[in-house]
Amino acid sequence: MARQFQLESSDGLRHRIRKHGQMRTDVVVYASEALLEHIRQDLSLEQAANVATLPGIVGPSLAMPDIHQGYGFPIGGVAATDLEHGVVSPGGVGFDINCGVRLVRSTLSETDVRPRLKELVDQVFRDVPCGTGGSGFIGVDSKQLLGVLEQGARWMVENGYGEQRDAEFAEAGGMLDDADPDQVSERARTRGRPQLGTLGSGNHFLEIQFVESIHDADAARAMGLEIEQVVVLIHSGSRGLGHQVCTDYLARMGPAMKRHDITLPDRQLACVPIQSEEGQAYLAAMRAAANFAWANRQGIMHFLRLSFRKVFGAAARLALIYDVCHNIAKHERYVVDGKKRDVLVHRKGATRAYPPGHREIPQAYRDIGQPVLIPGSMGTASWVLAGAEGAMRETFGSVCHGAGRMLSRTAAKKGRNAREVQKKLEEQGILVRSETRDGILEEIPEAYKNVDEVIEVVHAAGLARKVARLRPMGVIKG
Amino acid sequence: MFEILEHTADIGFRVRVRTLAEVFETAALALESIALETGAIEPRQEYRLEATGEDRESLLVNWLSEALYWIDGEQLAFHHFRVGGLAARRVTGWGAGEPRDPARHPARLIVKAVTYHQLRVAETPEGWEAEVYLDI
Repeated sequence: MARQFQLESSDGLRHRIRKHGQMRTDVVVYASEALLEHIRQDLSLEQAANVATLPGIVGPSLAMPDIHQGYGFPIGGVAATDLEHGVVSPGGVGFDINCGVRLVRSTLSETDVRPRLKELVDQVFRDVPCGTGGSGFIGVDSKQLLGVLEQGARWMVENGYGEQRDAEFAEAGGMLDDADPDQVSERARTRGRPQLGTLGSGNHFLEIQFVESIHDADAARAMGLEIEQVVVLIHSGSRGLGHQVCTDYLARMGPAMKRHDITLPDRQLACVPIQSEEGQAYLAAMRAAANFAWANRQGIMHFLRLSFRKVFGAAARLALIYDVCHNIAKHERYVVDGKKRDVLVHRKGATRAYPPGHREIPQAYRDIGQPVLIPGSMGTASWVLAGAEGAMRETFGSVCHGAGRMLSRTAAKKGRNAREVQKKLEEQGILVRSETRDGILEEIPEAYKNVDEVIEVVHAAGLARKVARLRPMGVIKG
Repeated sequence: MFEILEHTADIGFRVRVRTLAEVFETAALALESIALETGAIEPRQEYRLEATGEDRESLLVNWLSEALYWIDGEQLAFHHFRVGGLAARRVTGWGAGEPRDPARHPARLIVKAVTYHQLRVAETPEGWEAEVYLDI
């Protein structure tokens, strides 16, 4: 049973847990009353309170409206730590380093695609592997893998897996500097190398969608989005390479914590000082894994392009709108209590959301704010937002990352049959292809909170603005 | 021998066995059964597994991470696991199985990692019990 916390609510959107016990700071939860009911049912508030005990935490431990129970950190959690005196926690990034979302726009409309949807979905299902068979279609050798780890999406573009523009329109240009492949173990490389260009399973997917409504015409125009336009959302991460990097460093952090005299309420929160040898080694490896993830999503987009061409001919063009990561730790600068602070922002299931004018946003989006991509559950909807000023003031430039799970995987499967679920979705105009039977059942829309409710909170709190709502037509899953 | 446990986003299992060595053997099999269809796996080859840890809990997490590496990284499918040596900070053993053939050993779920979330290894009046959650 989840521990009950006293929440102080000022405006029905922001709820505060005052620091107590070992906590070094408050917890602030962004949620509606209805969402809060769900949040109270699992361990997420306790986990957010545990995060507040991290040495060197700056500002509150933040919980986004899609928050749900994770490991150590809650999923939908944000924590900034002081760059000089704070800690880095691999659990604050997660096992899927740089799990993220990429939105691709097409030159086709729903009317163009609908009659050939089955053909398209089957083609994409053949061209974009989920990786459950063990490998994908991009065979990089060990030397090429070094390029991927150092240069991420840029390496892919330079080696024939994309167009020049693709790398420019990814967060951080699809490549984090100071990635050090030497800090990535041989095991992580062996595990990840054959998986480059594969989706993975769990909640990862590729969705063919169309723009159902536009809420900010200027922002939509800048992103090249039109009503009824077909777009594709890709949700994947660093695959086995990132999982192994996190596993390797968690194993090293236990003994290192003792040396640095750090004790924490949850072992999965394991952390070390950012400036320690272990901290720097982890960050260098994490950046390499993040680059692998950007390369992975770039590779998937490359094969997606081929699928569209096979079905619709050369005139069907795909362009990258944006690519965001939602599991990462990054060095950023914010004004906290009137002072400029250099911090390491841990986003565990949270998306960066820079406001208009920020210099890290591509020029094309400078006036509207950074595109923020929020996948919903299979068969419901996804959202495109634009970052707003509120996120800079309150949440270290961060917002939610999805709808947030509500039902366990076992509960989702109970009494349901994969074929029936597939048929029901088909009746709603959504074709689903999955490499595994469980892939469909575990990700049924009923397992998730309502994504629209999550978005309303973020929009009303001034963290990001609604731009467009996307509705699925075809889903490829692991 | 083992049962599946619920978690909002992920999955876990509980092992109830007679000895601590069996905890390690059975937990590795439980992990594999979440990742793969295990029915058709044959014990044709043997692979050595080894892990260290500062205590019983980290020893189990690191042993399972070792098994996961061989399954996901080296693409092996195991019929069973055996512990050869078990000390306070070190466990050695082997897995008997064969190279994974996706047609005969289809994937169920891709397991990302083994976690410390609500991890429990305890001696009971009947033997040993452990609970482990996996990130998937």
